[in-house]
Amino acid sequence: MAAKEKYPMLNSFLEGWSIFKQNLLGKIGLVLLIIFALMAVCSYIPPWINPMYNPMTGVDPEITSCTPPSLRHWLGTDFMGRDILSQLLAGARIAFMVGISAAVMSILLGVSIGMTAGYMGRFVDTLLMRLADMIMVMPTLLVVLLLSAVFGQLSIWTIVLIIALFRWPGVSRIIRGQTLSLKQRPFIEAAKVAGASHFRIIFVHIMPNVLPLAFLFMTFRVTSAIITEAALAFLGFGDPGTVSWGMMLQWVWKTGHMFQAPYWLLPPGICISLITLSFYMLGRAMDEVLDPRLRKEDQTD
Amino acid sequence: MELRRYIVRRMIQVIIIFFVILTVLFLLFRWAPGDPVSMMVDPDMTQEDAEILIVQLGLDQPIGVQYFIYLKNFFTGHFGFSFHYGEPVVDIIWNRLPNTILLFTTSIILSAFVGVFLGKIASWHKGKKTDSLMTIGALVTHTLFLPWLALILIWVFGYKFGWFPINGMISEEVWLDPEAGFIAKAIDVMYHMVLPLFTLFLIHFGAYLLIMRSSMLETLKEDYILTARAKGLEEKMIRDHHAAPNAALPVVTSVGLSLAFSINGGALTETVFTWPGIGRELVSSVSQNDYPLALACFLMIAGVVLVSNLVVDVLYAYLDPRIRY
Amino acid sequence: MALLEVENVSIGYNTKKGYLKAVEGISFTLEEGASLGFVGESGCGKTTIGMALMGLLPPNGSVREGRILFEGKNTLRMSDEEIRKIRWRKMAMIFQAAMNALNPVQRVGNQIAEAILIHDSSVGKEEAMGQVEDLFELVGIPRDRLRDYPHQYSGGMKQRAVIAMALACHPKLIIADEPTTALDVIVQSQILGEIKDLQKEFNLSIIFISHDISIVADMCKDIGVMYAGQLVEFGPRKEVFESPSHPYTKALLSSFPTVTGKKSDLIPIPGETPNLVVPPTGCRFCDRCSGPGPSCKTETPAWVEIGPRHKTLCCRR
Repeated sequence: MAAKEKYPMLNSFLEGWSIFKQNLLGKIGLVLLIIFALMAVCSYIPPWINPMYNPMTGVDPEITSCTPPSLRHWLGTDFMGRDILSQLLAGARIAFMVGISAAVMSILLGVSIGMTAGYMGRFVDTLLMRLADMIMVMPTLLVVLLLSAVFGQLSIWTIVLIIALFRWPGVSRIIRGQTLSLKQRPFIEAAKVAGASHFRIIFVHIMPNVLPLAFLFMTFRVTSAIITEAALAFLGFGDPGTVSWGMMLQWVWKTGHMFQAPYWLLPPGICISLITLSFYMLGRAMDEVLDPRLRKEDQTD
Repeated sequence: MELRRYIVRRMIQVIIIFFVILTVLFLLFRWAPGDPVSMMVDPDMTQEDAEILIVQLGLDQPIGVQYFIYLKNFFTGHFGFSFHYGEPVVDIIWNRLPNTILLFTTSIILSAFVGVFLGKIASWHKGKKTDSLMTIGALVTHTLFLPWLALILIWVFGYKFGWFPINGMISEEVWLDPEAGFIAKAIDVMYHMVLPLFTLFLIHFGAYLLIMRSSMLETLKEDYILTARAKGLEEKMIRDHHAAPNAALPVVTSVGLSLAFSINGGALTETVFTWPGIGRELVSSVSQNDYPLALACFLMIAGVVLVSNLVVDVLYAYLDPRIRY
Repeated sequence: MALLEVENVSIGYNTKKGYLKAVEGISFTLEEGASLGFVGESGCGKTTIGMALMGLLPPNGSVREGRILFEGKNTLRMSDEEIRKIRWRKMAMIFQAAMNALNPVQRVGNQIAEAILIHDSSVGKEEAMGQVEDLFELVGIPRDRLRDYPHQYSGGMKQRAVIAMALACHPKLIIADEPTTALDVIVQSQILGEIKDLQKEFNLSIIFISHDISIVADMCKDIGVMYAGQLVEFGPRKEVFESPSHPYTKALLSSFPTVTGKKSDLIPIPGETPNLVVPPTGCRFCDRCSGPGPSCKTETPAWVEIGPRHKTLCCRR
């Protein structure tokens, strides 16, 4: 069996890239994301220069209140005298961490469940898809809120896990569809005849064909994870040990400095909105890459 | 008729899902750290009241019996007493529910109609400035962070310009005035509703615009559009009478799919604008550890989402004759 | 004066790969009450002609040269307003794939009534529906199906509804583009028979477009054979069928199976249709022709008259 038949999608990667390059919005999105990534990486720099720039604990000995942007503090300081710019950079780091981990987790979960449902069919399929339907209906934010009421303050990783647990249904539906069509392919039949176990067929044969598709959908998962974490932090239920953009908004809101400190209010909100926008634009460009590939798939059948 | 059977089937689904949620919440609260009694009974209650409540909620019974008492209480509307307000939870819920429904429903209907209308126009001017403007506008507004947008609107329109009130749903002067008629009160509520409604609207209409736009572009390629043109219809008639009704159907579906997202937004909006709805009540009850109230709020919201889903599905079935007949 | 006169019309599409010359130098006439069939393989341009006649070319399509005279007036020079008035009222179309020709969210009766109401403002809704009922009776659809939606109709019924819609304004000319392709053979022959009856009853002119030469030969008095955007043979059906002149026509006739013919008589046509963005010089059929002459590849073929109304586009005569 030729490798090309077994892994058709891996061969289309270069074609996908050339389609992507033509999409203006996608390129803008990519550029913005690179900027944010740089921000995240640079977040380690300010505290290294001077401990007073530490986003969480760094307090400028000479400042104890909100100050507008200055040479010392390019974006000014918050009500405790902490540097806003370094908070913003740290927030970028948290955003990527939360977004990508939640996305990866939900994708792996969604792929496993989707493949199992599509491959096993009948009872297992119905059960899993009904479960998916029920979870899709739930408003993630409010669920996490309730859970934090019951279990107390949640750490950032717990939040990420819960977000992932509520985001897999969307992925699983699509993967299930793909699995259903792949199930009919000759190379699967051949594997069955050769005596491969179900587990092996699913994870060794089907998964490589389905995984690239899943990762392309990752872009949307990332944005919803970032927004959920930001909203949670905004409401005061985030991890108090992490400085995220949502947390920054919570501080400016709750300490009543909203009206006086635009330099504090505006940057975090702009960042959240902009990172969402860039992932969205990237995702739409990915859609264009995705569709012609899928069409080609049908034609080779 | 097919439609009736469909509605019945969906209603049964809603009831089943709601039961599952009820049960999951029951288990959740029993498995949580701390004992169930401290979860459901206000520590500030007197000993006698507390004991009465414990019996009512069945907290002294084995877990199986507790579950049935729990279900029974749900149907009789007995959710315990709020720690924070000291009143029966069910009263608080019934008080807040209409406010949430008012805001939520109005915002969805407004966003959907405007989104569909603008999306139709955008598709018609595809590639030109109007289209680019609308598409980019939709994209940008849709990705704004809702709480932040709310804060900005409060700052600009409430504080700087002072045009709209920035919190609450009513002004006491109007509502306490014995002379004030229904119209005056209604206008007062609407006045307070402008900013929260606008926030929700801005966030949501973009998605519907984009969907309607691409749906129209697809629909305009269909054969029956060619037929309409061949019949000698004007382009405007074709667009509005033949293409748009077909193109709007996916928008209805997307309203249903994004209901969970909308409810999240609703809760955030209520919190920032202190609109006395269930979403805000959930947030504040959680931060105050008011468990009975939090539980009931969540259940209510889940119910609202499920029922809205049902309504949207039925609406779709009604609009698409291929399902109705 | 003939109802329709097409003079040297060329039509092309702007595509990403260049300008596609879909139709080149077509000329023919159609009298009132007469029927004409265009036959050819997919991509030969027959549907394009139908669309151009109705003024329904897509935005990237245009008529490069020639005139289309309908009732003496050049439709290519008409304003949008004028064309809309003619559409359906004088010239109607039965589309390929009638399966999707009806709006799925509107009742069938309403859609047909709409055609009537647009072109005659004196008619009220009630009266229009009454007319639709009569039309239904004419094409053989039960009256009680008037208020149904398209998806409730069977394939044959949908086709009949589309025919009824085409007749709604009592046009003079009907262009039927592969009206029976998606139907099974029995329904197909029923529908074709009904079309013939309707034509006689209303003295309609019909242009029938199909890839199936047997259908065209059955339905039409004149036949036009198209290949690669050009009309390669034109004449009365008897002559074209019994004494085909152009090599393509001959090949077409021999590649269709008949019930009575011998199995060994089936000869497929080798090769592929030429690229219409850069068409070959000389005769476009040359590469697939069974017996090309010395000048076929270089010289553009001209019309050769074989009989009083029978002509062919071939160098070798």
